[in-house]
Order: sequence, then structure tokens, then C-alpha cells
Amino acid sequence: MIKVRFHGRGGQGMKTSSRILGTAAFLSGFFVQDFPIYGAERRGAPVVAFTIISKEPILERGYIFDPNILLISDETLLLDKQTDPTKGMSKESIVFINSNKNEDYFKEKIGAKVIVEDLTKIALEVLGRPILSTLIAGVAAKLVGIEQKYLEEAVKEELEQIGANEEMIRKNILAATIGYNKVQEVKIEQTESLEPEVKVVEVEYNDPEISTPVISFVANSYLKKTGTWRVFKPIIKYQKCKSCRLCYVYCPESAIKWENNFPVIDYENCKGCLICVQECPLKAIEIVREGE
Amino acid sequence: MKKLMTGNEAAAWGARLAEVDYIPNFPITPQTEIIETLSKWIREGEMKAVFRTMDSEHSMLTAAGSASATGARVFTATSSQGLLYAFEMLYNLSGWRVPVVMVNVSRGLSAPITLEPDHNDILSARDSGFLQIHCETAQEILDSILVAYKISEDKRVMLPTIVNFDGFYLSFTREIVDVPKLEDVRKFLPEYKPTHTFFKASKPLAQGTPVLNSSLYSYFRYQVHRAMENALDVYKEVKEEFNKKFGRPIDEVETYMMDDAEYALLMTNSFSTKGKKAVIKMREKKINVGLIKLRLFRPFPTKELMKQTRGLKGLAIIDQNISPGKGGVIYSEVSSELYNYEEKPKVITSFIGGLGGKNISETEFEFAINYTRKVYEERTTLRVPILLFTEEDKKTSKTLIDIAHGGEKNEA
Amino acid sequence: MEARKMKLEKKIKTIFDIPIQEYVAPGGIFCQGCGAILAARLILKLLGERTVVVNAAGCFTLAVVYPYTVFKASWLYTAMACAPAGAQGIRDALDILIEKRKIDKNEDLNILVVTGDGAASSIGLQSTITAIHRNLDFWYLAYDNQAFMNTGAQKTETTPFGAATSTTKPTSLSPLGTEQEPLDLFSVWVSAGAPYVATVSPSYPVDFLDKVERAKEIKGPKLFHCLSGCPPGWNYEPALTIKVGRLAVESGVWALKEAVNGTIKHTYIPKKRIPVEEYLKIQGRFEHLFKPVKNKEAIEEIQRKVDKYWEYELHDAK
Repeated sequence: MIKVRFHGRGGQGMKTSSRILGTAAFLSGFFVQDFPIYGAERRGAPVVAFTIISKEPILERGYIFDPNILLISDETLLLDKQTDPTKGMSKESIVFINSNKNEDYFKEKIGAKVIVEDLTKIALEVLGRPILSTLIAGVAAKLVGIEQKYLEEAVKEELEQIGANEEMIRKNILAATIGYNKVQEVKIEQTESLEPEVKVVEVEYNDPEISTPVISFVANSYLKKTGTWRVFKPIIKYQKCKSCRLCYVYCPESAIKWENNFPVIDYENCKGCLICVQECPLKAIEIVREGE
Repeated sequence: MKKLMTGNEAAAWGARLAEVDYIPNFPITPQTEIIETLSKWIREGEMKAVFRTMDSEHSMLTAAGSASATGARVFTATSSQGLLYAFEMLYNLSGWRVPVVMVNVSRGLSAPITLEPDHNDILSARDSGFLQIHCETAQEILDSILVAYKISEDKRVMLPTIVNFDGFYLSFTREIVDVPKLEDVRKFLPEYKPTHTFFKASKPLAQGTPVLNSSLYSYFRYQVHRAMENALDVYKEVKEEFNKKFGRPIDEVETYMMDDAEYALLMTNSFSTKGKKAVIKMREKKINVGLIKLRLFRPFPTKELMKQTRGLKGLAIIDQNISPGKGGVIYSEVSSELYNYEEKPKVITSFIGGLGGKNISETEFEFAINYTRKVYEERTTLRVPILLFTEEDKKTSKTLIDIAHGGEKNEA
Repeated sequence: MEARKMKLEKKIKTIFDIPIQEYVAPGGIFCQGCGAILAARLILKLLGERTVVVNAAGCFTLAVVYPYTVFKASWLYTAMACAPAGAQGIRDALDILIEKRKIDKNEDLNILVVTGDGAASSIGLQSTITAIHRNLDFWYLAYDNQAFMNTGAQKTETTPFGAATSTTKPTSLSPLGTEQEPLDLFSVWVSAGAPYVATVSPSYPVDFLDKVERAKEIKGPKLFHCLSGCPPGWNYEPALTIKVGRLAVESGVWALKEAVNGTIKHTYIPKKRIPVEEYLKIQGRFEHLFKPVKNKEAIEEIQRKVDKYWEYELHDAK
């Protein structure tokens, strides 16, 4: 049994990746489960999806706590304590990270076999948008040893279902193939389930101030540091700025502060929507890709 | 001061004596007289509260919950279809932990639409996190509302309560009610001083927030259960205080002629009175029978029930409700609670009666007890549930069905 | 009287009149480039923290996910159908508690209902209309992204003609996507008797906030019906949210107006309307009207309706 966990951001297509891998494995004759975690899915917000591939019927449900393969679509996810993408990983796990950095950069931090490729760059070249679903599906399919023809068939089937046109399907098959050929098949170490032993405890009554879902520390969402959602970073060139306030007023979530008559971007929280770049009448805000 | 009044008026008196601040409402038979009475008192200046007719029971309960979360003492009332229309908000209010007191006047559920009582409406709210107190008399209605506020507003509980009573049989029936003096009530039930979740400018807070973490969701929802458990202890304290102040016992489980009983009827709400009369008749025939009335339904008074049913040969549960495909709801509740108890009744039987307010006659109660004895004495196989439906009922039904389909044309 | 006075006194005249105080913190679970949270951020700049935001199920429900809230103001999530009923309960409770001197009158709050178009135009309409009818003193921000976006873009009563949603996908049998015209929420509120009803756009913050500031003088229900761009639901890049809103207004698709005690006035009239095509073609939800072959008829129909609206309105204005 191979358990694959995909970590990404809303809009990158992780659900589609897990489904493409699932379909490709199904077409290859395996037992398969795939499953996305839904609900608070937002463009840019952390999302998780899973695929389990097995020669035997699968006795699993829900979250994969002990993945054999982890695919992380965005290195900034590693900074997100709530998501904690490497949680449950063992020394035998294989971790794929989409990044423009090299493998050594991550090796020590992660402590497992790390494979790094800059898929965002390929996505921008091939698809024109930072959508990674088919690229990551391609990487995953190769890692688990699925034949390329099943991958291609699966990409076609899944994209047709979400209403992609022929041109998009063609481009995405190309992207999947590029992803596929970037990596080598790996030997998956079969380990016992790593699901940790737990202790069942008593839950005491607490006063309603505590035991009701009430928040008394208001406007605390800045603690979430959604700056990790960014793929592109806006940078204000102050020499061009005439303090017109448009970027400040149009910033949807107040990630641009108005200080000493100038806009200041709060990078801990800016999600990188780039409205400020688009609306600046003087083109005084530039874009760089995150990490560059 | 003793007065002759309907059950609905007794409910209105409960709200009046509790000096509630807010009454969001929506009319429905057989509850409407409660809100009519309250609106009259407010308009005449006898009560100081906002009376607000909403667009539906769903909105009514939302307004009740949000006003309670703002710190007001809130009363509201509904029945049957109205309760079901508001259903989603029941769970919200218990989750917000707001001490709203709501009356439900029981009425059978549609389809077919009907007016007289049974308890499918109130029992559907079983798992909502509202406390439930079920009443047999008009006096109990008034008393239960005062008790309900006292328990709901206790810091150890902070949950809403439904006070339930039967439509028609209590709602429109006048009987004698002892109305306590306002100053005595004030001593028993002081002004509500919220310490938790209320909206005011000086201290902003977020309430009713989504919880997407499953550990935390388990924690919060389980806290509602913990608060219910506390409510059992709080109920005991409150009933003693109430009895001391007003001289009326309001036990969680009331017993009638149970001292030497070998068999017992178990019932809730107003038909318990009919059951008591049947017990007297059976006693005259030397049948050792008594009656157990479940007044507190949530939290479920398991220990009290164990005590009162200890060593019985047979317990006949009369359910005025039906869960199609299963049977009586109270039967399931009681038997599951007693199952692990060594001194549980030897036999527990299940009868469905009084659906849509259908009468339960003395003979039917006797039938239930005789059947229970037979199962105990002859070890016959138990059939559950048994519908209390008479030859006369069958005849009446047939006559009416014939009219509906033209079968009796010639006779007409 | 009041209507005339309001027409005269413009209070937010330029972008520099918009306060720099913030009552919405960053870090919420909103998509990049969300037009709805921008609208809420703008309106709260004028309503401030002495406000309770009452919400019905929609994207905004996740503005507050335990243990985080984006608001400096208070918050109550009710359920999808009943945010105005929640507002009523809070208003009534504050009134009676102040009257009975159980709380100080300084503890009073503005009540701001915030819902999406799904709650505003379908499941919540009953509780809304009756709140208007009762003349409940509250603010209502309806962020209209023209579909049930929180559940993945299914058609609502305000989805425009020709738009693709996940339940009105264009197919060979139904090539238009949505075939229905949207419900006119503005007119619904006006005819229900609301004293202040406005359409707004976050792309026009001065117009928007001037309306909010002037509406403070009015007691009763106040609607701000806001066309709010939705990058994933409308299928455009997040950076284009303001531009999409601007094209909607400049093409005349979204008319900025207000009704004060029933008197309707356009607060911004585009000098020369740009073709609706400009607005439609940058959004993926209208892509089927352009590709693989251009559906001229449908686009012309949309243009015709817009022209007809303005012809009628402008004629009326004269």
C-alpha cells in the first residue's frame, strides 16, 4: 500500500492532482482511494488531498497520518505551523517540494529523502498560470511507478470532467509528462502503520466563558500570517509613489497600512492578490516571485 | 393567590413572574393564547418587555437566542410544526449556551395535519441540547417556567430549556393554579446577570463562530453534555429551594402509589392524570400497580429512575409518540438506561397510545398492565410496541374512510 | 425633507476623506483578491468597532473561524435564513436593557448584517422583508458575487443572464449557461419600504462610503447591495477585482444608485458607456459567449438590456 499526501494552496489544483493519480492507478488495475479536505478551501489557503494505492482492498478512511510520499506544492507551506505538511512523516518517506531552491536547502530541515523541482516555473511556461495539478500528478505518478499512458489517460479524463477545453487538456498532458520525466521511480519502504498510540482521557466541565466557541481577543486573525499564501510579492518603489492612496484603499484585507503618508505593505499578511500592482496609476509597485 | 386559568395562561404567568425582557413570537395553535395573554399585559402596562412577532418560528428562535446573547431574559413559545420549522436553531442556541426558556405546547405532527397532542414534536428535540421539563398540570407549567430560568441561568448549566405541555388537554383546560407573589418569585429567581457572551460596545466578542477543528468541535459539543450532567445536580438544589419557598414538590421523577407496587405504568405529560385514575381502579381490583411520571426528560434522570423501578416485575411504558420502524421513544430511552442495572424491572413492555390526542381509556391501561403481567408470569414472547387502538377506534376510522371514498353513499 | 437634505450634503468627497482607521484585520480565510471582504472593510471604516456583525451562511462565515476573527467589532453567526432575525433580537435586547437601565446607553451597538446574495435573495428573503417592514434599525451589506460561492459557485437568484455557474454549465443543449434574469434586490427593498437602499461597488469607494456616511442620519433598514468581484467564481485573476468592478459600472451593467425614502437617484452616470463585451470578456464565467464561436446574439441581448435600462432611467431623470 502506498499512501500519498498532497499539500497545496487553493487554486493550485491539489484535489485534481490526487484524482489524476487515483484515476491513473485505477486504470493500472490497483485498488484506490482519493479524498480532498474541503470546507475552508479558498484560493491561496492551505489545502490537503490524499491518494491511497494498493494491491489489496483498502481499510483506511480520511486523513493520512503516515504518508509514504508527500508532495508539497509550495515551500512556504513548510512555514505554516497549522498545516505542518511534514507531520507524520518517517525517515523512509519521500518528500517532493516545488521550489526554486536546491535539495540541500531542505535536506537537513526535513530529515528524509527530498526531491526538489521548480514546477511553478514550468507551469508559467507551459500553462501560463501557476496551476500545478497536472505537473504534480505527473511527479506523483512517476514516483509510485505508474505507466505514462495511464497518467495521460487520467489527465484527459479528469480535466474533461471539470470542463477543460481541448487546448487546455493538450497543454496539461504536456505538463504532466514534463513532471513525470523530471523524477525517477522510487522504492517505497513498506512500514507498519505509524498511527501513534493515544491515551483516552476525561474531559471536565469548564465554565461557559471557555467552553463556548466565543472569541474575546478580537481582530486577532493577523496571527495567522497569511503572507505564506503569496506566490508573487508586490514591492513598492517609493521614489515613484505619489501617496494617492489607491493601493491602500483597494487592499481587500488591510495588508497595506498607511504610515507617514505612505503605503507600507504588511508582508506577514499580504496574500499576494496584486490588486495594488494592477491599480497603481504610476506603476510604482513591482512584482517578484516569492523566494527569488 | 389561587386562580382558575388555562395551561396557556399559566405559561404566560410564568413568563410574567420571571419578569422577562423579551418575547419574540409567532402564533400557532394551540400555543397562541400564551402570546395573546402576554401581549395584552404588555400593552396594558402590567409587564415591561418587548413583544416581537417575527416572520416564522425559525426567526423567532434566532431573535430569542441573539437577544439572550445580548443579555436579555427571553421567553418564547411554539408548538408542533413551529418547533420543527425552528429546528436548526435549537442546536444553535444550545451551542451558544444561552438560557432561553421556550414553551412547547405539544401537538401531533403533519401529515396528516392535526391539532391535538402527542409528543413526536417535543421528542424530536431530544438531542438538541435543550433541557426538557414535561408538565402534567397547569400548576406545573407555571412552576416549571420559574424553575427553568433558575437552572438555565446557572453558571454550571447555561443551556436553554423547553417546558412542554399538551395542547387542548392542558393548553385550553382551566384548573386552579396557585400564583406566587412577585416578591417571593424575585427572591427565588433574581434578575438575570449574564457573565458570559453578551454583546455590548465596551467589550467586543465573536459568538457562534465556526469550529473547523474536529478535536475542538468534540470538546465544545461534549461540554453541552457536561453542562446537562451538571443540570441534574442543579435541578436537585433548585427543586428543594422551590419546595421550601412555595411548598410544592417538583421531583424529576414523580411516583404515584408505588410503595408496594409490583407493576407500574410509566408516562409523561397530561395523560399521566388518566393513568393515575386507572391505577386507582386497578388497585380496587387488587392489582399491585403504581405510576411513574417522568417530569425531567433532559437531562435524563437515570438514577432516580433506577430507584423508582427497582425490583419491579413489570414496567409498562406508555408512549404518546411513535418512531416508525422502532416504536416508542420513551421505551427506548428508559430500557437502554436500565439495561445494565441489576435490579431493573424483569419485564419492560411498550405501548403506543394517545396519538393525535386519542383518548386512553381505563380498560386500555388495564390491558397494558395485564399484558405485562402475562409476559412476566407466563414468560410469553414480548411483542413491542403494541398500539392501544380499540374496536371502537377501528369502527370510527372505517366509517370515515368509507365516506371519503363514497363507500357509504347509499346509506347517506 | 430628509431626502432633499441628503442629496445636498456629500460627505465623503475624495479618497482622502476615507478614514485610515481599520476595523478588519488581515489573515482571514478569504480568497486572494476577494471583493466582498474589501466591501466589509470599507463599510466598517465608518461604522467602527461599536458594531455587531450578524452573518448568514456564506463565504463570510469563515471570516471568523475559531480561534481567529478578522473583526474588531462583535460577531454573531446565525444560520443561512435568519441573519436579520438575529439583528432584530440584538436590537430589541439592547433597547429594552437600556430602557430598563440594566446596561448603560453607551453600550449600544450598530447592527450590520453581512450576507452573500444567496442568503439575501433567496433563503433569507422572508426574514429580510419582514425586518424591513418592521423598520428595524440596521445596516445590511449584501456582497453580491452572483452565485453560491462558498459551496463552489452554484446559481442564485442574482446570477446574471449568460453566466456559467457550477449548476448552470453551458452545454450544447443550454449554451447560455444561466438563462434567467437576476432578481432585482434593490427594487425589492425599495418596494418593501426601506428608507435607504443603495447599490455600491468596492471599485468606487468614495461613492460607497459617501452613501454610508449620509445614511447614518437615517433610522431604519439600510441596504448596501454591493457587486463584489469573485476571482475563483467569476474566473479571473485576483489582481483584476477592482477592474472588473469598474468595467461593470462603466459599461452600465451595474448602476450605482440610491433610493432615499423611495426616491431613486443615480449617484454615478458613466459619461459614455463602454460596450458590455469589455466587462464580459475578462471573466471566465462568460467565456462560452466568446469561444469557440462568439455568441453575438447573447452578447447583443445583454447590451440591449443595459441600453434599455439606461434609456429609461436617464429619460426618467430628465
